[in-house]
Amino acid sequence: MLEQQLVNGLTLGVIYALIAVGYTMVYGVIELINFAHGEVYMIGAFLCVTFITAVGLPFYVSMLLAMICAAAIGVSIDRIAYRPLRSSPRLAVLITAIGMSIFLQNLAMIIWGSRPVPFPQDAVPAYLKLTAIEFSGVHLSWLQLFIFAVTFSMMLLLYVIINHTRMGTAMRALAQNRTCSQLMGVNVNRVIAFTFALGSSMGAVAGVLVAVYYNTLSPTMGYVAGVKAFAAAVLGGIGSVPGAMLGGIVLGIAEALGAGYVSSLYRDGVAYAVLIAVIIFRPSGLLGKALVEKA
Amino acid sequence: MRSLKLARLAVLASFLILGAAGAAAAADTIKIAVPSPFTGAAAGYGDNVKAGVELKLAEINAAGGINGKQVVAEFLDEQCDPKEAATVAAKIVQDDAIVGVVGHLCSSAHLAALPNYVKKGIVAVSPTATNVTISEKNKDKAGKAWSYRVVYRDDFQGAFLARYASQVLGLKAIAVFYENNDYGIGLKEAFVKEAKKIGLAVVGEEGYMKGASDFTPQLTSLKSKNPDGLFISGYYNEGALIATQAKKLGMNVAKFGADGLDNADYIKLAADAAENTYMTVPFLAEAASADAQAFLKKFADTYKRESDWMSANAFDATGVVLEAVKAAGMDRAKVRDAIAAMNSPETGFKGITGNTYFDANGDCLKNAFVKVVKGGTFVPADKQME
Repeated sequence: MLEQQLVNGLTLGVIYALIAVGYTMVYGVIELINFAHGEVYMIGAFLCVTFITAVGLPFYVSMLLAMICAAAIGVSIDRIAYRPLRSSPRLAVLITAIGMSIFLQNLAMIIWGSRPVPFPQDAVPAYLKLTAIEFSGVHLSWLQLFIFAVTFSMMLLLYVIINHTRMGTAMRALAQNRTCSQLMGVNVNRVIAFTFALGSSMGAVAGVLVAVYYNTLSPTMGYVAGVKAFAAAVLGGIGSVPGAMLGGIVLGIAEALGAGYVSSLYRDGVAYAVLIAVIIFRPSGLLGKALVEKA
Repeated sequence: MRSLKLARLAVLASFLILGAAGAAAAADTIKIAVPSPFTGAAAGYGDNVKAGVELKLAEINAAGGINGKQVVAEFLDEQCDPKEAATVAAKIVQDDAIVGVVGHLCSSAHLAALPNYVKKGIVAVSPTATNVTISEKNKDKAGKAWSYRVVYRDDFQGAFLARYASQVLGLKAIAVFYENNDYGIGLKEAFVKEAKKIGLAVVGEEGYMKGASDFTPQLTSLKSKNPDGLFISGYYNEGALIATQAKKLGMNVAKFGADGLDNADYIKLAADAAENTYMTVPFLAEAASADAQAFLKKFADTYKRESDWMSANAFDATGVVLEAVKAAGMDRAKVRDAIAAMNSPETGFKGITGNTYFDANGDCLKNAFVKVVKGGTFVPADKQME
């Protein structure tokens, strides 16, 4: 039973991690909690379904297109709601972020309706539905393996982009000091837009994976997932990409074990208790650097 | 001078005419309130109730309305949230144009709204709230009930399910998975109580919160107790996810639940994992009257989807309120009295879900039917129980 609970938790955790990356990267460059990120995750899933059902595209193509559209949506959110307030007090941007989240959720309800819809199963490659491994009562499906594979390759891609490209260097420079990097010739708005695009496309992937895994998607799915992923980002150390990964997995496993062994009604309670415990002892999160207050 | 005076008169006259027209419009309509969740996690159910109410209003208005007046409904969103429901209820009782309430959908919301209705004296007829405590909390000091329902109570339904699982399905060990709200808990408790009485073993109980999407940890621990039946005490959204995830974990047991599971979306969302799910429903299309068949056809034509019991009950709850308005006029207290007078099979409301009549607690006696998912569609179970 423990093995199965760990598998359950890990699946949940890597999905949290994928969403958490979006929070953590945006926070890293502009110190904004992008509350609309959960909605981008939800819209990504809906777009993928729309491409499959309305346009008739294959699963993988739809997923890729959903990523691209989500990236465009992420960039637009920044352009419309955050960029005009770049030099305003941080609280103002936080409020627009919440407003954006409510707006997008209601927009999705108008476009796709408020009822939960199933993922078009016929479009999902058949092998993903099979059980991959089954030993001593532990069930692991190909879909779960696919989720792990996608998440880890996305993370690897992200690592390469951040550490080995010019854009990544610019992102890191921005995270350290915006004014200074601007003076060094970094096009700040372009780097921020890129960050939003990257985070949003990851969010869309997570949305699609969740929709396939649970065979359901609804306009409200972004809220809970967003809150959990944000907690994961904080747990791992907000601003740190490997931290988001680790935070997601820790949170997912804590939740699964909490529900399995403590009490199923306190599963979120257990997850947040872990978060609080970590924050008390390591205020900057598991992998976060203790920040020196910027001048 | 003279032309100016005339112009003034003309303006004045037009105001008067407009004003009179407005007043006439208000007096020519009968307004009911329909508080239900139209946004949030339960919005899908609210849509179903709204559809049922709208069909009833369309039917009555097409036939010339009530005593020559057209009927309109004000739909108020309470998100199935007790706090919102209390706010909405306060708004309803203050609007003098509203003669009665069709709602609420969720038991928790209904309970939170009740004190307002009882204190200010407006009658509420719920199409779907099945929680037991409603029957205790719906009376004013004089002992008059202000809340009625056209659906049976959870204790009836829970006990019925325990007997059905044991006597008809022949199950021995049941795992219970319940939603942590008034509906899920009330139903579960009635089930467990009856199970104890008839010697049906309950091997595990796990809860979940509304809107959750991952149930694998709880299912994993229920599975380790080797049940041969899984009782899902909740609604179809989560129910479909539970069925799907149970199947993925290799938990191939009989599944059953109550009216909360009964929705075409349950099969759509759970696909083949929905097979062999038994559920009690207050309304079974196959066993329904000709009136009900007409309703089902009208519903499918209008909304391009299958109706469920919530829409049928909303249709009848609206019918109960408007029948009372027809008999008693626009006075709120008289409307209540007219509903309270539907207290015997002879005086009951003959709707599409059967003959509805109330006891002094506002509850009605209705039999439950059992449906089962076979071949991707709902069919009546082979064996029904009296």
